[in-house]
Amino acid sequence: MYKLVKHYSTNEIHCVNKITGNRVLSIPMVDGNSDYEEYKEWVAEGNEPEPADE
Amino acid sequence: MSSIVIQGDTSGSITVEAPSVAGTHTLTLPKATGNIATDATVGLGTKNLIINGDMRIAQRGTSVSGLTTGGYYTVDRWKFNITTAGTWTMEQDTDVPTGQGFANSMKMSCTTADASLAAGDRVWFDQRVEGYNLQQLAYGTASAKSITVSFWVKSNKTGTYILEFYSDDSNKTASKSYTISSANTWEKKTIILASDTVSGFNNDNGLSLYVWFWLAAGSTYSSGTLNTSWAANVTANRAVGQTNLADSTSNYINITGVQLELGENATPFENRMYSQELAMCQRYYWKIAEGSGQMLGLASYYTSGGVLLYVQSPSPMRNTPTVDQVNGTDYYGFERNGAVDGLGGSFALYRFNGVGCQLYTTSGASGTAGQSGVLWTNNAASYIALTAEL
Repeated sequence: MYKLVKHYSTNEIHCVNKITGNRVLSIPMVDGNSDYEEYKEWVAEGNEPEPADE
Repeated sequence: MSSIVIQGDTSGSITVEAPSVAGTHTLTLPKATGNIATDATVGLGTKNLIINGDMRIAQRGTSVSGLTTGGYYTVDRWKFNITTAGTWTMEQDTDVPTGQGFANSMKMSCTTADASLAAGDRVWFDQRVEGYNLQQLAYGTASAKSITVSFWVKSNKTGTYILEFYSDDSNKTASKSYTISSANTWEKKTIILASDTVSGFNNDNGLSLYVWFWLAAGSTYSSGTLNTSWAANVTANRAVGQTNLADSTSNYINITGVQLELGENATPFENRMYSQELAMCQRYYWKIAEGSGQMLGLASYYTSGGVLLYVQSPSPMRNTPTVDQVNGTDYYGFERNGAVDGLGGSFALYRFNGVGCQLYTTSGASGTAGQSGVLWTNNAASYIALTAEL
């Protein structure tokens, strides 16, 4: 499951968590990061991440 | 000055020259057949472009079983990949070829077989090389260099195997076959690949070259004619003749001593210092701390419910990394102002500058803004790592 994460002070979404059980990959939204590239492919397939906590 | 001239049988010659100083000087040639390195030899210095070719670094762990999806699991820099072709165990093993100076190998074992591969089924492991490390090959120029890959391999299953080179920059491939001749016996293999004078590798930190060891390939990848020199990718030509190592739960393969070097000679494996090899691996994956009571770094409460932690990686990381971690109640301990708080939330990364960054969490923390202290792992299962793998 992917879940968006807001920055602690700017309140802007700046990374996405990939959650598998208690393992969390906190993925920065930076091109060239292979986890982020994989996330973008997942979104391009029509999937949507969980929204960020308010 | 005296010299001996050895004339070639067609043209050209080599002159062997004695020094113009007094005294007797002895040059002892090797007893075995070999090559002498000179200042004209390519690939001196850090000659092996493969990282962790002797499989001795395993930051993530030494054994993972039940593998049906791809990923980095055990030995650093080596990625397991699969499309519906059985179930596998990946290990850092101590089975090594005798007398070669290796302490480890990587072992892949089939634990659920797929004796009848569907067209698109496949399994392989690879190492992904970034463009910065490939510029010395001079690909895409008239000076492009040949490369040689050598390695030790052992399997119960004899037959033909495929080593493929795949350029992510040009979408070209070249595949070479090798034969495992004797079951359960370490054998050294050498593969030479002619250069590509047309297409270069990007001079950046992105993925440029896959060094791809096939273990099984369905007809999608094997129904054509093996493409043995750099050419535009034709999927059916990539792994023609590949043995199906997934066809029995008795099957395994061990590999070590993988070296990719310039030129057309397989020279002895480059034994780098442990610290050097580890630092090379940490450009792509750095486990900051693991287990109970391991230091993460200095941290502070920036609010009553949020903690900032500064970390600095031992090597410049390839790109802005992902934070790889597990979380749970009190998985991390924060000692500040004479007391210890248990933290259980996950950390996110911010302000990465190539080596340093801040990690922060806003969940599972409760303290006093402004207080600082030290943060550590507080559970046998807890770990935090940064990963920038290709």
